[in-house]
Amino acid sequence: MAQLENLKNIWKNQEEEKIKFSKDDIFKMMHQKSSSVVKWILALSILEFLLPLPNIFLFFSGQKSDSGFIEKYDLNVMLNVYYIVHVIIILGFIFCFFKNYKSISADTSVKSLMDDILKTRKTVKYYIYYNIIMAAIIGFHMFFKVFTSASFKETIPEDTNMLVIWMLSILMFFIVLAVFWLIYRLIYGFLLKKLLRNYTELEQTN
Amino acid sequence: MDKNLENKFLEELDNHQNIIHKVCRTYTNNESAHKDLFQEITIQLWKAYPKFRGESKFSTWMYRVAFNTAISLYRKNKRDLDTGPLFDNMKELEYKEYNDEQDKQLDLLYKAIHSLNDIEKALALMYLEDKSYSEIANTLGITEINARVKMNRTKTKLKNILNP
Repeated sequence: MAQLENLKNIWKNQEEEKIKFSKDDIFKMMHQKSSSVVKWILALSILEFLLPLPNIFLFFSGQKSDSGFIEKYDLNVMLNVYYIVHVIIILGFIFCFFKNYKSISADTSVKSLMDDILKTRKTVKYYIYYNIIMAAIIGFHMFFKVFTSASFKETIPEDTNMLVIWMLSILMFFIVLAVFWLIYRLIYGFLLKKLLRNYTELEQTN
Repeated sequence: MDKNLENKFLEELDNHQNIIHKVCRTYTNNESAHKDLFQEITIQLWKAYPKFRGESKFSTWMYRVAFNTAISLYRKNKRDLDTGPLFDNMKELEYKEYNDEQDKQLDLLYKAIHSLNDIEKALALMYLEDKSYSEIANTLGITEINARVKMNRTKTKLKNILNP
């Protein structure tokens, strides 16, 4: 390691950096807005809280659609119950998210900061899981109510194979959920790739 | 925010700005990214400053925030376009051409450090700054034993890069 010790001397003797900012520059800089990875997580999370997947279905709950879909299949009560449960759960998630978000500070060890960022991120991850499960439950419940209703049976030919209708509906529904999941994975994979790599590196003990 | 606090912070940061430049030069390889990272570190330092109680030296605290910003918070190539007006009154920013053998070796050392991963870069910088294992472990949030193991690996890697 002799050569490294020599380099240590060179390092210590290095002149003051050739780049130097004036106090004026530093003053301007400290009042700029941060655009750290945490800001991106916050922006995306707010977007996710505003656009939860089950709302695609729940949107209809307060609507009197032209086709009278909700009334026709008697979905009003069911959707209103889901809506209330959903709003309570969302508020719980938002509370946890902001509590974790506020605890993020660069004034801690490298590992603690990574833990705090990942904890905040985890809240959003569970929120996404919840959304997908909730969307699946509401979706299947709606399919069930619609497909077993007398009004639906009146609109389809008598020899229609219900099994095929069920399978096609479920398949299409799964594709929608899978696309949602994929977009979410891609965005966060891109955003947290570096962080997760460094976290693994830091955690490795041999 | 308190004007006195602001002035005190400016004074301290101005006195120690060399530390941030060393971190920036370790984690970036062009002038624009260097300025960008310097700005993000300054923002994070200022944000955390009200909580700074002086339990550790300002420089030690600064290293911690600077590493956190460079390793976990900073996202490259995000503000390259709008940093311009901030630096209007600045002196020439270009790194000067190296004028002697020592500068040349320093440049080679930075190049070698650039090929390390983010955690190893922090270890290499703290090694060159002669930080104790307890301080290194504290800054990274790992055990002292783990810090020693990682440091040995980083030194070997650095040596291999410098003597292929």
